[in-house]
Amino acid sequence: MTLSIIGRRFLQFVPVVLGVTFITFLLLNLLPGDTAEAILGTNANPVSIALLRKQLGLNQPLLVRYWHWLEHALTGNLGSSLITQQQVGTVLSQRVPVTLELLILAFLIALVLAIPVAVLAARKPKGIIDRLGATTAMFGLAIPNFVLGLVLILLFAQHFHFFPATGYSALGSGLGPNLRSLFLPALTISFALFAAYSRMLRADMMQQLAQEEYVITARAKGVSEPRILIRHVFRNSLFSLITIVGVNFGTLIGATVIVESIFALPGIGSLLVSSVYNRDVTVTQGVVVILAVVTVTVNLITDLLYLVLDPRVRYGTV
Amino acid sequence: MLAERVSNFRQTAQWRRSLDIWVPAGILILLVLACFFGPFIFGLPGPNAGSLLDARLPLFSAGHIFGTDAIGNDLLSRALYGGQISIEVGLGSMLIGFVVGGSLGVIGGYRGGILDIVIMRLLDMFLAFPSIILAFVVATFLGANEINVIFAISFFTVPAFARLARATTLQLRERGFVIATRLLGARERDVLIRHVVPNVIPSLMTYGLLTVAIAMFIEAALSFLGLGIPAPQPSWGSTIASGQQYLSNAPAIVLVPSVFLFTAVASLNSLGNALRTRIESQ
Amino acid sequence: MSDQLSSRTTDSTAAVNPVQVDLAGDRTSSGAPSPTLLEVRDLRVNFHLQRSIVPAVQGMTFSVNAGQTIGIIGESGSGKSVTARAIMGLLPKKTAEVLGSVRFEGKELLDLSDREMRQHRGKNIVLVFQDPMRSLNPTMRIGTQIAEALHSHQKITRADAHKRVVELLQMVRIPSAEQRFHEYPHQLSGGMRQRVMIAMALSCGPKVMIADEPTTALDVTTQAQIMELLRELQRELNMAVVLISHDMGLAAMYTDEVAVMYAGRVVEQATTKRLFKHVRMPYTRALLDSIPSLDHPSLEPLSVIKGRPPDLSALPPGCPFSPRCHFAQHKCEESPILETTEDGDRFACWFPL
Repeated sequence: MTLSIIGRRFLQFVPVVLGVTFITFLLLNLLPGDTAEAILGTNANPVSIALLRKQLGLNQPLLVRYWHWLEHALTGNLGSSLITQQQVGTVLSQRVPVTLELLILAFLIALVLAIPVAVLAARKPKGIIDRLGATTAMFGLAIPNFVLGLVLILLFAQHFHFFPATGYSALGSGLGPNLRSLFLPALTISFALFAAYSRMLRADMMQQLAQEEYVITARAKGVSEPRILIRHVFRNSLFSLITIVGVNFGTLIGATVIVESIFALPGIGSLLVSSVYNRDVTVTQGVVVILAVVTVTVNLITDLLYLVLDPRVRYGTV
Repeated sequence: MLAERVSNFRQTAQWRRSLDIWVPAGILILLVLACFFGPFIFGLPGPNAGSLLDARLPLFSAGHIFGTDAIGNDLLSRALYGGQISIEVGLGSMLIGFVVGGSLGVIGGYRGGILDIVIMRLLDMFLAFPSIILAFVVATFLGANEINVIFAISFFTVPAFARLARATTLQLRERGFVIATRLLGARERDVLIRHVVPNVIPSLMTYGLLTVAIAMFIEAALSFLGLGIPAPQPSWGSTIASGQQYLSNAPAIVLVPSVFLFTAVASLNSLGNALRTRIESQ
Repeated sequence: MSDQLSSRTTDSTAAVNPVQVDLAGDRTSSGAPSPTLLEVRDLRVNFHLQRSIVPAVQGMTFSVNAGQTIGIIGESGSGKSVTARAIMGLLPKKTAEVLGSVRFEGKELLDLSDREMRQHRGKNIVLVFQDPMRSLNPTMRIGTQIAEALHSHQKITRADAHKRVVELLQMVRIPSAEQRFHEYPHQLSGGMRQRVMIAMALSCGPKVMIADEPTTALDVTTQAQIMELLRELQRELNMAVVLISHDMGLAAMYTDEVAVMYAGRVVEQATTKRLFKHVRMPYTRALLDSIPSLDHPSLEPLSVIKGRPPDLSALPPGCPFSPRCHFAQHKCEESPILETTEDGDRFACWFPL
């Protein structure tokens, strides 16, 4: 039974991804502003512009172009940058690891903080940790990440010189500098994540404590509250945690774009910004498509995880 | 006689509990009034009327209570005028989402069938994009001005509202009174308008508040990156961006619009959450 | 709760002389030499809600000893479950005000802190719940859940706990106990889940078992099996049992004493034999009449008590049953006092049958 659910999700996955790529292509190619003109300059010879257009294949109908692009994309060829002539695939593969590391760090920081805060807050609602956590969370959700990033730079890089303000140090040059260069940006992103995770976890746990019968049974058995919280309630909250991680993934990507720009990190986000500035359509296309595909995949994975981890689904019913 | 134990019972005062709605609501109302009427009331200079002679004045300077930016524009004025833009963008994209997305969601959810599936797939595709990226790309390529930014952000708000409206409609459809009304032979249009829609609207409204916050945030982010409201116009985001280089010696340029943005978003979030808890507990 | 203060009570509607009813029918004076296992006196529970105070239980008094069973019978909303939870200290501290006295082996339970109470819960006094599907954690194996009760009260290794759990599962007659240990609640049938709940309750050898509608969610055959199981276990372990139900038929078969509740009040209380021989309160009569029996002439409608249980937050003055009572008269607008007969039976009615 689980297999058919998984199968069905996959089937839904494909058309959505296709649709996403098509819409991207559509959007980017319907723009005002001619790419060939942008490359050669508006004062260039109209004949050269026409030639370039033909060279770049820009004079063919939209659907044909999309089809070509799709064909190539499926074999891994995402075209080459209109500006630098580099293979889009190559550029992406250089940038993806940076963003990946950033995201993983941010995620870890957020979780490591959110889980204990939420558990302690659920244990003593309205207590100190709860109030502190709630205020920080409200802060984290309201403060725009670019502002937070700038403030962090002001404090920890310019005032205290603990961390570099901008720039990225690759893993190859040593783990220490690498982590230091990523710490402030990861912290910036993790703030909002912390806010979302800790609040959701707390709400979920409190709801269980208030409403679920098995909590009362556990109390009737004489189980101590901390134990109930961790072994029963928190365990069941993991489901919601998975869901919210998936749901927030999209915002995560958006945050990356901004944070990478502020901290001058050579990741996918900053690539997107620069390619959009430069009207480098192929690169933009490649980046957006990758991001959208990843988002859809993450959603798919969280859906599946949810199903797989629920013992009611795994073991079937009597 | 039985010995009695003393009962010690306290109840939180009734009025205390409404604070969580009225405080953020009050702040928001003040903010709107300040942004739209403040400049007149306080006789502030225009947001771009500064001269280089007054560049980078700190807080509480004479004539410029919040200081000035890198080219001498009064920061309070920029904040208030920028607020007008943010509020317009926030409300605009929210309303478009509410009306268009809400309608799509209700119709799709109610009718079901192919119409529903098609609408949903389409909207899912848009939701598959992280909202910022979408707004980003659309805004850039359409050209940076307020209307286009609103349009771009709507690509996010419409699917978001549609999904919520559809979910609520699906729940409502199975409720007794809807089925009863249909059995009585009412026309679909009437059922929709008189029964379904009034029940969908409350949850959309609370979500609407959160959406305004998100929209304001996206607009600020876009302007910050230089892809939203173009530079001379006093958007909060672009003011913050212009202050980036002066962070250590004139932090007010970054901080003043940030505080405004933060206040707006925080109040909207708090209000939205407070209303949601209120509705749920009924 | 650190209130050792004693002050006068506010009057409750049940002006009771605390009398202990000995099942042999003799009257014993209060303050008998050996304390009864569980003694509840004038238990009252008020829920303080946003706009009102709901008197969920008003003056519950009973006592039960090892090997005895008392049944608390009433419709839903009569306060029976609240009584059970009040005894166990499971009501939310913020909204539930518990007054009166609950003594276990002479010790006052209502004065204990949550930590102290926890030592009794699950070990000396246990509660078996009504709906085992929701009462068991769906993401935890049942063996672990039963073992948890053991770990909470004694230092025991996992291996020993495992052995004991298997023993318990066998005690409640679950086949292939070793296998069942590793299963999840949804993999078991309703009857088996209830047995698991019972096993969990028995794990530390309790002295008092409160069974809150233990068979309501089950079909009739399983019901009989579970009740028989409970009876056997009670005999084996010499437990005191408080059986909470709406089913007078169950009360007839499995209890030694019955207390009938309506709208939070005890309206009739007596030993089972005497209650069924001489029913006094019209409500009890109506409950008895509504038990379907094989002797009932077919095609005749089953007798049912008309109307619904009252809203406890808006009780009209007088006898709470009067709106639904066939025999209600003008005097019933005054609250009847709980009277005690010479034999120790109690009833609250102006016009007993």
